[in-house]
Amino acid sequence: MRISRILIQNFRNFKNLDISLSDQSVIVGENKIGKSNLLFALRLILDPSLPDTARQLGFEDFWDGLSRPLSKEDKIIISIEISDFDDDDNLLSILADCLVNHDPMISRLSYVFQPISGLSDDPKKESDYEFLVYGGDSPEKVISYDTRNRMPLDVMPALRDAESDLFNWRYSPLRPLLDDSSSRISPDLLSSIASKISAANNGITEVVEIKSLAERITTKLEELVGSYQAFETKLGFTPADTEKLIRSLRLFIDNGKRGINEASLGSTNLLYIALRILELEQLVDQNKRNHTFLAIEEPEAHLHPHLQRLVFQKLLRSRTNQSEEPDECEHSKFTTLILTTHSPHIVSVSPIRSLIALRKTVEGNATEGVSTSNLELSENDIVDLERYIDVSRGEIVFARGILLVEGESELYILPAICKLLGKNLDELGITVCSVHGTNFAPYIKFLGSKGLDKPFAVLTDNDPQTGKISIGIQRLISLLPLFEPIEDLTNISTDEVKRLGKAHGLFLNDHTLEVDLFKCGQHKSICKTIIELSDNGAAKKRATVWNDKPDELDIDRFLKDIEEIGKGRFAQRFSSNISGVSYPNYILDAIDYVSNKCR
Amino acid sequence: MSLINVANPKMRYLNAAEDLRENPGQWKAYNCEGNCVVLAGPGSGKTKTLTIKVARMLAEEVTVPRGIACLTYNSECVHELKRKLMNLGVQEDNNIFIGTVHSFCLQVILLPYGKLAGVALPYPFNVALPSEQKKNFEHALAETVSPEENPSPWRTKMEYYRRTYLDRDKPEWQTSPQIAKLIGKYEEGLRLSGLIDFEDMVLLGMHLVEKEPWIRKAVRARFPVLVVDEYQDLGIPLDRIVKSLCLNGGMRLFAVGDPDQSIYGFAGAKPELLRDLSNLPGIETIPLRFNYRCGSDIIQASQITLGEDRGYKFVGGYSGSLYFHQCPDGINDQASKICNIIIPKSIKRDGKRNFGDIAVLYMDKNDGDIIAKHASIAGIKFIRIDNGAPYRKTPLIHWLEDCASWCSSGWIKGVPSLDSIIKMWKRFNRSSFNDKEQHILKVNLVHFLFSHRSSSMPLFEWLSEMHSHCLGPTFSKETLMRDESNAFDKLLNASEKGSILEDFTVGSFAGQSGYKDHLNLITLHSAKGLEFEVVIMMGMDQGRIPSWRAKTSEEIKESRRLFYVGMTRAKKEVHFVYSGFTENQYGRRFMRGASDYVKELLELMEGS
Repeated sequence: MRISRILIQNFRNFKNLDISLSDQSVIVGENKIGKSNLLFALRLILDPSLPDTARQLGFEDFWDGLSRPLSKEDKIIISIEISDFDDDDNLLSILADCLVNHDPMISRLSYVFQPISGLSDDPKKESDYEFLVYGGDSPEKVISYDTRNRMPLDVMPALRDAESDLFNWRYSPLRPLLDDSSSRISPDLLSSIASKISAANNGITEVVEIKSLAERITTKLEELVGSYQAFETKLGFTPADTEKLIRSLRLFIDNGKRGINEASLGSTNLLYIALRILELEQLVDQNKRNHTFLAIEEPEAHLHPHLQRLVFQKLLRSRTNQSEEPDECEHSKFTTLILTTHSPHIVSVSPIRSLIALRKTVEGNATEGVSTSNLELSENDIVDLERYIDVSRGEIVFARGILLVEGESELYILPAICKLLGKNLDELGITVCSVHGTNFAPYIKFLGSKGLDKPFAVLTDNDPQTGKISIGIQRLISLLPLFEPIEDLTNISTDEVKRLGKAHGLFLNDHTLEVDLFKCGQHKSICKTIIELSDNGAAKKRATVWNDKPDELDIDRFLKDIEEIGKGRFAQRFSSNISGVSYPNYILDAIDYVSNKCR
Repeated sequence: MSLINVANPKMRYLNAAEDLRENPGQWKAYNCEGNCVVLAGPGSGKTKTLTIKVARMLAEEVTVPRGIACLTYNSECVHELKRKLMNLGVQEDNNIFIGTVHSFCLQVILLPYGKLAGVALPYPFNVALPSEQKKNFEHALAETVSPEENPSPWRTKMEYYRRTYLDRDKPEWQTSPQIAKLIGKYEEGLRLSGLIDFEDMVLLGMHLVEKEPWIRKAVRARFPVLVVDEYQDLGIPLDRIVKSLCLNGGMRLFAVGDPDQSIYGFAGAKPELLRDLSNLPGIETIPLRFNYRCGSDIIQASQITLGEDRGYKFVGGYSGSLYFHQCPDGINDQASKICNIIIPKSIKRDGKRNFGDIAVLYMDKNDGDIIAKHASIAGIKFIRIDNGAPYRKTPLIHWLEDCASWCSSGWIKGVPSLDSIIKMWKRFNRSSFNDKEQHILKVNLVHFLFSHRSSSMPLFEWLSEMHSHCLGPTFSKETLMRDESNAFDKLLNASEKGSILEDFTVGSFAGQSGYKDHLNLITLHSAKGLEFEVVIMMGMDQGRIPSWRAKTSEEIKESRRLFYVGMTRAKKEVHFVYSGFTENQYGRRFMRGASDYVKELLELMEGS
């Protein structure tokens, strides 16, 4: 079972949010964009621990953009659609009454906050409003505590105090686990252990020093309040009562040397997550519920990047066939994760389709969302993109705008050029991302209007060929259909291709990066770099010549000399050597294109 | 057998089940797994077995959020079933459905999935009142046949046809093109007014489960088990629904019935459906042969009447007796003799016997009027259960009886429970699902009940105040309660001064089912499921039973079954009263002699 769609209208940051979701979800977005509000919206429908008084919202919960005073047509609507539940009879029996589609089976649960029906005038005070939580298309099908309890949303908030929660017996996730285990232990075994504990207790209490301490405490009490009111005290390890025995168990780490109060923040958080998940699995086993939607706000809190990747790699992928352990798959079937995060490490291990990005609308007065759940990607595309995001730690997901380039050379050179132009890429939120090759298509889809919908530009080499269309133009021709349907690809002119390309953010140089840089006026800096780095005497000599006579450039020889040094190394040193104000146009065009589109 | 400690009310059935152990048939039914048909002869403890089995399945086999759906013949049976299950600790909950077939089709199939499945109905739709059905029907009859026709026989024909020819795209639908057209016009009229009737609910429900596998899947997810009581009365549509949901859809079936007690053929019931079902592969058939009710002589005689030996055994220890009374002067003579001679003698025979232990069974309402008249003359108090009864027993009326029962003395013991009364009340007010509204409804009802705790208050007064405090607003708001509103009006009218129930108090209304010193006057068709110490069958003349109208062998077999049902209502005494002739409304006599069935038994008596 998964939530397949979320619709939010007129609630807090959201004027109209309509996103589709795939299996589990990882929600990113800048601060104050509304991630917590999105989770609260889900709680209104699905959280049984949220009291109904909290479901009675107030005027401040209506979207700011609605003109005040509110009219009687203004209502808050939050709906979730649920899919993939029809293979589980228990879930089907709960959700069958809420169907809005039967093939495939989709059910809908909605929360509505609206003026009380039958009100004749416009609503004036908050008590003129009522809320309704119902299933399907009929407001009569009320969703009550009972339904919520069988498939609840459990939220682990951002500012959680894992430490004190673990300690407080009532809230500790360890308690239900201990209770369940102890109910299965044979009473005889417990009694025999209890008597051993009793013996140990006696052992220590009979020790002279301890015994006298206990007596002194009792005496002092009597002195304070008299023997009638005083009570006897004893020192011991744990009550030897069989019922209390299991509850007095404590969790230790480090080979039993340290209690959890001495554990690090990270360890405590990790323990907390582990225990919570065990607790949820147990609840399903006991048939107290059939599914849990587990929302964790900022799960990265207190966790080292490696741990973040380890833990969430497992959790986010165990539901699909990517997990090797079948048992894990069984249990994880009953929990759906919804994460909100700022962590590139967590994003780096998230399945491609799980990403949801929240951002401001064009008008700037509301939050909208985009998701990657419906991208049309081949298996290989998915593998490539996930590998890329893994290795680059998800930077492409957090950027506001992206410059897609072919390799590491551009990665060094572009930022350096920007700096010299007085444009700070970090301030603009633009990241340069190398696809390590020329397979731009999956990235274009990922960033395009059907995916994360971010501004981007592609910088690619022309690579002219004698007697044929250049490789660059061919590449553009193959990429253009991703943006708009092109009628006749065979008869299109090179100029037209370039023009269309530019319109969609595809920028071509004249030859290759290094050649274009040389020819636009950077030849002195280039030659200086070759001389500094090359081990090849002949290459150095050539560079010296071209330094003064740039028209004599032998392109093939030039490129080979750079390759000998290593393109990356060359680019690295060259970025420090760049000077002057002339740069290849395609680079300038691309940077302008993206920075203009970034909000 | 020691009692198991049952602190948990859900486990009460374990103790009750011990009672079943002694009876091999009941014990087998209790333990059956998979699809099962229980053929339960008269007095065999079928309801007990069924309710204990349901309680067991709920406790042991079906886990929340899934549940069990129980279907039965009419709202009387539903009420009984709910009461008996409550005694076993089975609370009516979201995961248990107990209702009639049409209520099942409406609540479980049509309302949740009809629109999604594209059923061509006006949304929202209403359930047609009897008066609306009548008006539409008469209009349709006038248009398709002629305005001069008497609607009543045509109506019966139409209902039978609708329940028998279920596939309108097959050639059999045109068996009588005239009736087919009539039905088309009738239904069209209903739809134009945004209405459906009970038959529509069942037919639409049936077509939906047969056509859409996803609906079968959804119903089975909610209810893995389907329990059907009185299967023999339920007709072809229910049979098809059962086959679709259970044999084709994976729901487990637990069906109970007795083909020998099938007496509603005119309404579309077919006894062979249950027999055929029990013969299908994969279905376990369990006969219940012990009869705890009828004396051994009565059982023996009933088997002669049936013409088959079902192997029923009596376990009570008494033989029972059969009496034959010939009254030469006709039906009035019969009624007079019953009230003045037969009943007093029967009461004398047993010191503990009272009028409430005796029932007079007759063919129709007219005979009912005659015996009622003579009982009044003889100063005997009585209760009538037939079409002459002054009001219909709908679910709301049953609920009002429960309220009356609570008000008169139930509040002291908490029986019926206020909680169950309130739950039912909320169900009648479907469209008030808002917390605030529900609270107001509850407060109003409880306030009314508390302030009207009196057994002796006149029923009319109590009902009027119930209407102004609680029912009035509900009737105006809830479109699905229109039929109930209608039934309530009839009840109210009947309890007014000058009407038949003018003497009724809250207490007498509450005690309607079974009144110790009131003689029971019942039509044969309404006697099903009941039992009495003494049964007097009046008007047992050839031409009445079997009726002169019964021509086909099916109809004659059904008459025999009707006679069989009548005599198996008796524990200790059965009296057959006849004249040897019948008289029509114009006074013309038909000398056909006593009923064939009486003659068969007389021969048996003479032979022994």
